[in-house]
Amino acid sequence: MRALLDQESPLASELRLPALPSKLGLAREYVHEVAAEFGFDADHSYALAFAVNEAVTNAIRHGRPDAHGHIHLSVRADGEVLTVAVHDCGTFATSALGASQTGESGRGFALMARMMDAVQLCVSPGSTTVRLSKALP
Amino acid sequence: MSFFYITDEAPVGDRYGEDIAVLSAGGEIDYAASPQLRERLADCISAGGRRLVLDLSAVTFIDSTALGALVGAVVRLHEAGGGALAVVCADENRRVLRIFEIAGVESLIALHSSREEALLELAMAG
Repeated sequence: MRALLDQESPLASELRLPALPSKLGLAREYVHEVAAEFGFDADHSYALAFAVNEAVTNAIRHGRPDAHGHIHLSVRADGEVLTVAVHDCGTFATSALGASQTGESGRGFALMARMMDAVQLCVSPGSTTVRLSKALP
Repeated sequence: MSFFYITDEAPVGDRYGEDIAVLSAGGEIDYAASPQLRERLADCISAGGRRLVLDLSAVTFIDSTALGALVGAVVRLHEAGGGALAVVCADENRRVLRIFEIAGVESLIALHSSREEALLELAMAG
């Protein structure tokens, strides 16, 4: 399921994840693994895994998987910053960004933003990518 | 693989009131598990529970869909004529506490560090 893009660097890797709620634990495990490899401590790894879990949940709930039923996760290390991109083939509706106090959904992005140093959302027709970045402590 | 459970604790009605229900959850509450949490809380309310205690001390992961299930229970209690949801989370469980801290749900859900504290507070409110 996982393909290392660069055998020299395990931190340039990607994961094609079946778009199923039961696979969210796998996404979190993957992030913990690459975050530890990058040198994050337990709290930083947890923050990144939390944010990626939110992005993958959004992709499963509101996005669209690729033709094989997958959501794509890719990891990039850039100096002291680790970035995980979560990509799906849906067209994210920005109306889903806000939550009312008593709403059951819509908190994901606010929580991601609190946990990360940067959250970038790139939307075009049939393509939604969330990039979650965090620097070494 | 992720793991999740939710159980009913022994009734505490004799001491605190018949409409009090205590639930305890453990493991990871993500989008795969939160529907069970939502359903269990809704069942409690349907069965007459109005003051609910949910102990999350043994939970290792909580996401926005779990928070949504908790907020949904508060809304259902309100629609049922009133009630309260008290969440218990031990002080040592910093990861779960941190999510509550940043989620901005403190006006809806009271957080307590022990079950006894939550029960006393709810008993006084009843």
